[in-house]
This record gives sequence, structure tokens and C-alpha cells, in this order.
Amino acid sequence: MRMMNPIDTAPAGISRRRFLALLGASAAFASGVTACSKIDRGTIVPYTRKPLGVVPGIADHYASTFQEGMTAYSVLVKTREGRPIHIEGNDEHPHFRGKTSLRTIADILRLYDPDRLRQPLVDRQPVSWEQAEAKVLAALKGARNAGKPVILFTGAVLSPTRRALIGDFKRVLPGLVHVPFEPLAPHAERAAAMAAFGEAVSPRYRFDRAAVVVSFDNDFLGTDPNAPIAVREFAAWRRVSGPHDSMNRLWVFEGGMTVTGAKADHRFAIRPSCAAAVAFALARTLSERHGVALPSGLKPETLAAFDLDKQAGELLISAALLHALAADLARAGRTALVLAGPSASVETHIAAHLLNTMLGAEGQTVETAFTPGPVDVCTFEDLRKHVTDMKSARYHAALFWDVNPAYFCPDRALWTAAVAAVPRKVFIGLHPDETARECQIVLPEHHWLEAWGDYEASADLLSLQQPTIGPLYDTKQGEDLLLDLMRALGGAAPADYHEYLKARWQKEVFPAGSLVPFEAFWSAALHDGILRRPAQPRSPRTLQAAAIEQAVTKAATPTTKGFELLVQPGVGVYDGRYANSGWLQELPDPVTRVTWLNPLAVSPADAQRLNLTDGDVVQVEVGGRRIEIPVLVQPGQARGVVSAALGYGRDALSVAQGVGVNLYPLLDETSTASNLRVGAALIATGKRVRLPLAQTHQTMEGRDIIRSWTLAEYGKHRREESDLPTLYPEQRFPEHKWGMAIDLSTCVGCGGCVIACQSENNVPTVGPEQVLKGREMHWIRIDRYYEGDAEAPRVLHQPMLCQQCDNAPCENVCPVNATTHSADGLNQMAYNRCVGTRYCANNCPFKVRRFNFLDFTGATPDAMRLAYNPEVTVRPRGVMEKCTFCVQRIEDFRLRAKAEARPIRDGEIIPACAAACPAEAIVFGDLKDPNSAVSRLSRSQRGYHVLAELGIRPSVTYLAGVTNPAGDGGRHAV
Amino acid sequence: MQSEAVLLPEALQPPTLFEGPVTLGSLDDQVLQYPARKPPAAWYLAFAFTFTLMTLGFSFIGYTFYMGIGVWGNTSPVFWAFDIINFVFWVGIGHAGTLISAILLLFRSRWRNAIARFAEAMTIFAVMCAAIFPLIHVGRPWVTFWLFPYPNQRGLWTNFRSPLIWDVFAVSTYFSVSLMFWYLGLVPDLASLRDRTKSGIRRFFYTVFSLGWRGAASHWQHYERAYLLLAGLATGLVLSVHSVVSFDFAVSLVPGWHMTIFPPYFVTGAIFAGFAMVVMVLVVVRETMDLKNLITAYHLDVMNKIILAMSCLMGYAYLMEGFTAWYSMDQYLHHIFMQYISGTYGWAGWLTISCNVLIPQLLWSRRIRRSYVGMLFVSLAVTVGMWLERFVIIVVSLHQDYLPSSWHIYKPTLVDFGILFGTFGLFFTLVLLFARVLPVIATSEMKVILPGAQPAHAGGRHE
Repeated sequence: MRMMNPIDTAPAGISRRRFLALLGASAAFASGVTACSKIDRGTIVPYTRKPLGVVPGIADHYASTFQEGMTAYSVLVKTREGRPIHIEGNDEHPHFRGKTSLRTIADILRLYDPDRLRQPLVDRQPVSWEQAEAKVLAALKGARNAGKPVILFTGAVLSPTRRALIGDFKRVLPGLVHVPFEPLAPHAERAAAMAAFGEAVSPRYRFDRAAVVVSFDNDFLGTDPNAPIAVREFAAWRRVSGPHDSMNRLWVFEGGMTVTGAKADHRFAIRPSCAAAVAFALARTLSERHGVALPSGLKPETLAAFDLDKQAGELLISAALLHALAADLARAGRTALVLAGPSASVETHIAAHLLNTMLGAEGQTVETAFTPGPVDVCTFEDLRKHVTDMKSARYHAALFWDVNPAYFCPDRALWTAAVAAVPRKVFIGLHPDETARECQIVLPEHHWLEAWGDYEASADLLSLQQPTIGPLYDTKQGEDLLLDLMRALGGAAPADYHEYLKARWQKEVFPAGSLVPFEAFWSAALHDGILRRPAQPRSPRTLQAAAIEQAVTKAATPTTKGFELLVQPGVGVYDGRYANSGWLQELPDPVTRVTWLNPLAVSPADAQRLNLTDGDVVQVEVGGRRIEIPVLVQPGQARGVVSAALGYGRDALSVAQGVGVNLYPLLDETSTASNLRVGAALIATGKRVRLPLAQTHQTMEGRDIIRSWTLAEYGKHRREESDLPTLYPEQRFPEHKWGMAIDLSTCVGCGGCVIACQSENNVPTVGPEQVLKGREMHWIRIDRYYEGDAEAPRVLHQPMLCQQCDNAPCENVCPVNATTHSADGLNQMAYNRCVGTRYCANNCPFKVRRFNFLDFTGATPDAMRLAYNPEVTVRPRGVMEKCTFCVQRIEDFRLRAKAEARPIRDGEIIPACAAACPAEAIVFGDLKDPNSAVSRLSRSQRGYHVLAELGIRPSVTYLAGVTNPAGDGGRHAV
Repeated sequence: MQSEAVLLPEALQPPTLFEGPVTLGSLDDQVLQYPARKPPAAWYLAFAFTFTLMTLGFSFIGYTFYMGIGVWGNTSPVFWAFDIINFVFWVGIGHAGTLISAILLLFRSRWRNAIARFAEAMTIFAVMCAAIFPLIHVGRPWVTFWLFPYPNQRGLWTNFRSPLIWDVFAVSTYFSVSLMFWYLGLVPDLASLRDRTKSGIRRFFYTVFSLGWRGAASHWQHYERAYLLLAGLATGLVLSVHSVVSFDFAVSLVPGWHMTIFPPYFVTGAIFAGFAMVVMVLVVVRETMDLKNLITAYHLDVMNKIILAMSCLMGYAYLMEGFTAWYSMDQYLHHIFMQYISGTYGWAGWLTISCNVLIPQLLWSRRIRRSYVGMLFVSLAVTVGMWLERFVIIVVSLHQDYLPSSWHIYKPTLVDFGILFGTFGLFFTLVLLFARVLPVIATSEMKVILPGAQPAHAGGRHE
């Protein structure tokens, strides 16, 4: 099997991403890309001796853990014939409860990424592992002999065993400097916690206990890594069944527009630098007008500089509302929750701590009892210091393990000089990325789906990671490599990391005096993926008054010159590590609906003042560095605030190359709140680009598409029951009639359903040029509409998928009967009959039918085809496709029930979108069963059908969103 | 005292269906000379041009087969664009020929005889151009044959409820009936050519295709009866084919498409566009082939009057659309109508109205009806206007339908234009070939209206 040099994977001049748009009639047309991935298709041969426990055609699920940054996600990996094809949350996890983030679900693609390194390289030449390790050893021994230190860059080390291993490694290589770095670690939050409480512990927010939530730039429903938990708990408060249900209330102060802001009952668009002042003013109002006691040691005069009415006046927001907020908080007491986000300043965090302590929320809705101890991570300031040390030729060798500082380092010039000054550089990772390019020795690592590991999710919760597939290529687990090196350097080490892990668990995790043998304990833990163990709760935190006084001084003098730049994590690409994933690049941002790009969000007022429209390229200059980035006029963006997503503008890998703009140079290396810059300047360049938007019209034009009521209005609405008369004979569904209920009150628009559907149903990606032509292939999409004033809009999300209409307009007009209606209420799509006249798509008023305009599937590289779900046909060019309610899952469970001679249980069949939705907003089931969850929800007073007046009788009932504004309601902006 | 010869006003004067002395012999010589002689250099030049255009068009079609519909501008929600616009455009162009040949035959009009052959030929060529599009616009052209209901062992039939299948029947019926009708009319002329020709090969082909015509009374009897029957069949088709084509739109639920006015609206438009094309082609024919005495100014005048009448009807149809949009209280239809006259494609709406309703009003003037520049200008405007009208109906209605989240602008690509101009190339290539190979005027029909053709009793005339 001839392997092409993976670093030069892309054929000359054509990036794989652009190739997706070019497309030949067959994959062989683009010989360069496909020739390098010679997965032997071979012959299909059935088992003659079936491996134990494997039944071809039946999926096996394995529990594992996925680490992203500072978070570990407990997952179940669905495998077919020994190959992982789908990732879902592990329902054993007490907090995630079967949900996980969309990036976790999408990571299945990274296992099969054709750009992955496939064998060790030394000076770009493929070598064997022995040769490569020998070279590394030579470098390390040289360092040890010369007495010079070695620097090891890694990501955050969340795994206790990996931490132990690094500790052991340090013992054989004294002078090893370990730099754990995560660009999106919450440095400001940690610094604030350190100052305020003396310990940098990250709390767990108990949204299930929070009746009033106040967020200062905290996108807890969106880009926060723990969003799946937050969304679930938050949604429980929004799932009202009657006008007298109690709901929580969400107040959001933010600079940019996020899904959290979209869900807010009250949203204030303010400059992030002013947030602390507002928070302190709230504290003062609480203390003076609502009798809430200040923490001991804090003098009332400290807050004298802050006045709520004055703040309201300066920020141009309603003073009455701010007072209503204070009243809300006072009433809520321990059920209040104030949080500040990762791009908020340290002062804002401290102010939030003050409020929480005053209200008694600290320890109630803000829990630190069982959260894991602070993990060592370097700030950007630390990174700079280390890189400067590198530049001064301090280190003999540098090891980069699963981290990409060449891309993350804001100061490119410094980095280039630093890297040149280190004689030996070793890269351990998945892809030939920016950092790998600069290393002589490149060692390919296992993907986490091929590797062992463990994680401390919280003090009482451990989770395990196990391989779900043998290594696809000639790779090695990073820990195994370290063990080999340790052994060669004279240390004692077991044969592989699996042994090391088990040994540590036996020693430190396995309860002493347990009656169960260790192997049984270990197997059980691997099976569950989660191990709960008793732990001592941490003692509650106490607020130090001195921190408040310091924060108050800073907060009282906010900067107002120039723009404030907010740099947020990419919804799909995060900090850039997923930029090579076509799924995540093509996932439309939940707010902007942009794909394959990170535009600069500018408020409508600023855009008008500077004469900017969507697509105009501006130069942003801050801190002596500048970038060019296209503009998107963002309704609801605060005046004077511009924001953009991190993780774009990469310089490596076939899909990631050149997509979007790199914002790392603009991050603040001198502050812990690196993602917030003040004093940015915007200059128009006169250039224009087209924004690949998945949605080009943003308002509902007065049409009854998304209903959103306040709690007060809810009581006034009556459900219109009548179905329009029809000439068609009534459809008869003898056994089942599948339907869905989608609750717009709980849906936050995160996009998890979109990625899950793409993973489950082999939906192709099309690339930015095709998205510009409106040809994206997602079977489910989240429409986002703005309503009202551009400066303070209502933002409404609606998942839109095939409504499986009873009188489906698409069925009548297909000339070849390729789309028909099933006896259980589904609109069927027969791919092999479709000739592609596209009449059905014209006649679908929801436009949920997707057409394969080009050979999108043909363009999928061979390696990525391993990610296909074998139960779903892959569609060729010229064929129409659409959501099927995951008919493969319906059939699977129908056959199981038939085999077991029992009826199908309600809740047994869960389509991929419903399974992924952290809010449980999508409910699927049998409408013929009056007791099923979907039937009950469909009868709800909030229920309605979109475009009901067309008489096509959709099977999907939407439940109107309900908001809970205080008193007069509405939204307010700067 | 007045002179005996009363000078009637022009409207009451008998129509000048031919100018100058025309006898049976001179007619034959004049019309039947062309298949026998070499065409002038201008013909070769024109043919080279149209043939190149046609080849280019077919290459673009080949490219589309190779790459997929994605090389066109079609998108979501504008899933149909140039492909169906061109289809409807060409089917429409064909209707003039059938109306002239068939309907006017049943009405026993005499002015149709000079132009019926050419018009019917244009119908066939137009339908051939139109038929290309259902075949190539599908995503998988290699299985287009599934659109035909052929018996198969899988027991699969087409969906007879789908207007696209009705299209298949309508267009294939239209093509086959028109072809038979046209061919039947050609038979006596082919016999004349057979009798006149000196070339051996030609005589062979003319002999075969003239089916042994001897001009016997029994032959004429059969001929007249068959011709009448086919004319009757074809008459229905004039109204039904384009109504069926309009069902592609009217039967759907797309706002702007779902209107009952569509069948008569489309038929009117078809006749309108067809006549404009016939006028343009006949002007060229009568000049280059020196047939001014047979295709007279009267013919052009009458056709222009028909164009004018159709234009007024189109104006009414547009007004009705506007009225319906308002009266219906349907917000979606109202929105679409506003998009017809404003918005990204508002220019197309206004250009359509100008070309189809305003400019043809020039034809009220007799001078313009009889001036080449005038009638060519109007006919060109009508052709462009009718194409644009289909563009407005299809693209503008689709691009902003029910859910605003799917709204998207449509932009055609080079391939779209290439195929469109390619079909023009095909059409005019076939026209040029027809003019070269076959008699462009039905001499047998012309002879019926020459003086002395009809037996007359003394003092009376049967027309």
C-alpha cells in the first residue's frame, strides 16, 4: 500500500475544500486526492468464524471519553463491524445524561480525516518507529548530557494518569519544562476566582436550581463547553405546559449576539468593559434598596462610585428594567445565578462572585463541592514567556504533543525566531499542521477513538477512554511513546499505556478492601465509561473583600475609546483544531448563519456610520497588530463592539487552509482576559467578499412561521383545531403514525441536531462556493429570524426538517413515483427511482428537500467513507434527498419488536436529531398512541403547524416559544 | 355620375394574397426552384453560424451530463430556471404554426395558404428544441426514459397525477401530430419535385417520400380527408398542449404559480410568441428567396394584427394577475407580485410588460405594420419579452416563496446561456436546412387560391 507523503496531501493547486466544489463525475477524476488514500476496498467476505459478541448488522456501543480543552465528554461510540460510525452522549453520566456537544459528535470525522499523519516522518521522509524514536532519544539524551532543559508543550492535561506519566517522565528527564496550554482556557475566570476566593476552582453552575439567571457575556447555552448540561437544566424551566407554570428568567448583558442572548427574556447590548460597573451597581442597589447584606469585610463605601440609574443613562438602557432586575435578584435569593463569561474582564467575574455571595447563591446555584481541582494551564502571558525563552536558545529540544502553538501564538515573528533557535523539534499529533511543519521529527498519534485514557470529570466522577477501533494507520498513542522513551532513558515503565493505566487504577482508584476482583471492577468501569466514587466535598468558598476593592477601582474607569473587540470560540472550529472538518466548517453559525468564514460582527448603527455592508472587508488594528476581515452587520450587536470567531485562517491542512481569518494575532498577551481587546480601530479597505450564508433573508416578513409568546400572552391563546377540508381521501395509518413535536421554547438553536443528522445519514458537505449558491445539503436546518428593531431584535430559532406531510405536495408531482407515502405516516424517498426533475423540491413549501446538484458524495475521500452509516444509502449525483425521520432506526426497532413479539415502546425509537438535542426539544413517537409523549405534546395549547393554511397536514407540531419578561417585557439595547 | 368601379375603403377591399401575375406554372417554378439549386453564399454563412452555435450548445449539454445540474445556476429554492424557461419558450413558439395550419384551415381562411408550410415546419423545429429540455434538465439523464410509461417486470408505472407526465404526453402528441400533418401536406409537393428533378439521387428520395402520389382524384380525396382530420386533431392541441405545460406551474402550490388563469394565459402567450417568430423568419424568407409576391405585405399585416390582439390579451392577463394578487388577500401571492415589479428582478417584470404590452402597441399604426424595421423591432421585442415573462414567472416566483429562510437569488451561468443560444442555433439550422431542401410554400395549397383555381358559375364566385 503506497502512502503518499501526507504533508503534501493536496494535489497541486487544488485544496480539498475547493475540490469539493470542482468535482469530477467520479472520485477518480481527481487522482491526486484519492490516489493517496488507498484503502483496499477488496472483497466483502462474511465471517466464517464470527468473533464473539459481534453480529454483522448489529451495532455495538462502547463507552469512551473525549477531551476538548478543559472539558471531558463522556460518550457512547456506535460501531458497526468494528468501525466507529456515530458518537452520542453516555447516558450513565449523571450530568450530561446522554447528551454531548456537537463538536464531540462531529469528531468521528477526524478519525477518518484523510489528512491524518499515517507514519512517522523524519525530515519529511517516512521512517519506521524504531528509527524515529531513536532520533528522538538522541535528542533527549543529548539534552540530558549537555544539562540543557527540554520543553514539552501539551494541551491541558485533564487525565490524572497522563499527569502521572508526565511526572514520571520528568524524573528521567530532569529539567523538563512542561507547558500546558489551551487558548480557550478560562484564564480570566481563574484569575478572578484566585483573587476572590484564593483558589482557582471552576464551579459547576446549577441551572436546575436557578430561577433567575444573569449572564455577563457568558454564552452558557452556546459555545460554553458545558452547554449540553446547561441547556438541559435551563430547558426544564422553559418547558411550560400551561400559562400558570413557573418559568425562570434570563437576563443577558453582552457585547455580541449569542444564542444565550437570543434566549434571554431581557437582553442588554453593552460594551463588555462596562459590565463590571453594572454588576457592582446592582450589588449596591441590592444592598441599599433590597436589604441584601454585603459580605463581611466589605465596606459599603466601596460601591459608592456605582449607581444603577447613572449606569442606565450612560449605557442607554432602561433604568426601570435594571431596577426590575435588582428586584428579581433580591426575590430569588439563593435561586439566583450570576455568571460572567470567558471573554469578560476579571473585574466582571469578581463582581459576579460578589453578587452570588450576597444572594446566597454561592454554594447553591454555584457549586464547587465536587468540581475537579484547578488544572495547570498557561496563560498567553506565560506562553509568551516560554516562547521568548525558546528564542534565547535555552532549550535543546522541544516536544509538541497534540497542541498547535505555531497557530495559537499571537506573535508570529517571535514564534518563528523561537522555533529556529531550538535545535531539535519533535511533533506528536494527528495532523501535519502548522507546528508539525516546523519539526524535523513528526510522530503520528492515535486518535482518541483508538487510544486509552482516563479523565477526572469531577472529584466524584471518573471516566475512561478506550479504543473502539484498531489503529487505522501506523500510529502510536502519545503516552506509549513517552513510555518507550522513559524506558530508553533508564526509567522503569510497563510495556504500554494500557498497562500503565490499569496499574494506576489498581493502585489509586480501585477501592481498598473491595470484594470484587480488579479485573471485574475494571471491565465494569470500561463498560459504563463512568465510575462514581465517594469524595469529600470541598468546603464552601469565602469571598475576600480585598479583591472586591481592587476590582472596583478598575471597574470604575472603563475605556470608551475605539471599538471593543470580542473574540469568541468558533461554534464549530472551537480554537481552530477542528478547522479541517468539513462538517463543522459547513455548520452554519447559529446566529449569523455564515459558513466557512468568520466575519466581523458590527452593529447596525456602527455599520451605517462607517458605511459598511455585509461582505465589506475592513482592517482591524489593535495592540500594534492588524488583520483584514469581512464585515457582517449583526442586529443586536452592541454599539462600539465588534466580535468575531477564533479558529479560522489556518495555514495548513487541505480543508482548513485559508478558510476565514486568523484572529490569534489580535489576542491580548498581557492580560488574562485575552479575548477582549479595547481600543480597536476599524478602517474600510474597499475590498469585498461574498459571505457564504446558509440563509440570506433574515426576517419573517410578517408570516406566521415561529410563534413566540410571553407567559402573559400564553393564557390568551386558544388552539385552532380545525384541519382545512381536503379533496384527498383521508390517509389511513393502520398501525403507527410517526410524528414529531419540536418545542421552540426549549430549543436554543445550538445546531447539535444538524451535526448528528449529518453523521447518522451520510449527508455530504458541499464547500463554500456551493453554499454561496444555496446548495448546502443539511437535512435539518435551524432557521434564525430577527424580529423588531435592528438594534434590539428578538432572535427566534426554528429547526426545520421534512414535515412528512399527510397530503404531501411533493408526492403528487413526482413524475416517476420516487416519493410516496408509507403506511406509517412517512414520506418516503426512493433514491434509486429518482430521475431528478426537482419538481418535488419546487412544490415543497418548507424547502427541506436537498438536491445533489453535483457529485458531492463522489468527492468524498475514501478515508472519510469509513464514517458512513452502512444503514443509510449514499445518494449519487442527480438525486433528491431529505429527512426520513431516521427510517433506518424506525425499521431497526420495528424489527426488534417484531422479533421479540412485543409492541414498540414509546421513546424507544429516537432519531439522531432528537438523541442529540440537549434540550430534549425534539420528541419523536407514534401519534396513533394517545399516551405517547409526542401525542400529548402535539395536543398542547402551544402546538401549531407551520403553513397550516396550505392544508398539507404536516406531521411535525411546533410548540410556540414562551418568554418570561418582567412586567412590561421587551428588549433593550445601548 | 360615379364610375362603375367603386373604390372600396381598404378594409373592405379583397385581400392581396399575391401580387402580380401568378400562374400555376410560374408558382411551381418560383417555389420549387430552391430545392434544386445551390444556395447563395449568404446561406452558407448563416448556416455556419447557426451550426456553430448549435454545436456549442450541445457541448454545454454534454458538459452538463458529465458534471451535473450544478453547472447551471439552479439552486434551492430556484430548482427550475433556464431549463424550464427554455422549454416553455420553445413549446410556445410552436403554437403559431399549428394555429395557422390547423385552426385557420378549419376556418377556411385563404391567407394561411402561403405561410402554413413554413409555420408548421417552425412548429416542428420549435418542439424539437423544446423536447431537449425535459430530457436534459433531469439530474440523471441516463434514466430519463423512466418518464415514459413502458411495461416492465417491476410493475412500475409513472405517476399519472404529475403534470410532468402530462407534459410528456402532450409534447410527444404535439410533435407526432404536427409531424404527420406537415408531412402529409408535403406529399403533393414532393411529388411535384419528383416529377421535375433531373438528379437521380434526388428523384429516388422524392419518389420514396411522395408515397406514389399521382395527383389522381382519389388521392386528392384521401388527402383532403386526412388533412382535415389531422387539422382537427392539431386544433385541439393548440389549446391543450400549452395548457398542459402551464399545469406544471398551476398545479403546484408555489405562490405566483397556483392560479387558474395560467392555461389561457399561457396559450395566449404561446400564440403571441409564435407569431412574432413567424413574422421575423418570414420577413427574411420573403426577401432572400424573392417570394414577396406570394408572401405579401397583407400576410405580414394580418399576422401583425394578430400579434397586436394577443398583446392586448397579455396586457389583460397581467392586469388580472395584479388584481388577483390584491383580491386574494393571500400574503404570499401579494409578496410575489410585488417582486414581479420591484426587488432584485423588478427590471425583468417591467421589461416584460414593456416588450409584451407597450411596444406591440406600435402595431396599431398601419405604417409600422407594413414596415420591416417596425415589425422586426416589435417581433424581436415580443420574443425577448416572452422569454423574460417565463423567467419572471419561474425564477421570481420560486426565489422568494413561503419560508423566508430559504429565499435565495438566482444567477444563471455561462452554461445556461450557452444551452439557450445553442437551441436557437439548432432551430435556425433546421430552418435553413428546410429552406434548402424542401419547398417553403405549399404549392398545392397556393394553387387553390390562385385566380381561376375555383370553378365558378357565371356571375358568382365561390371562395
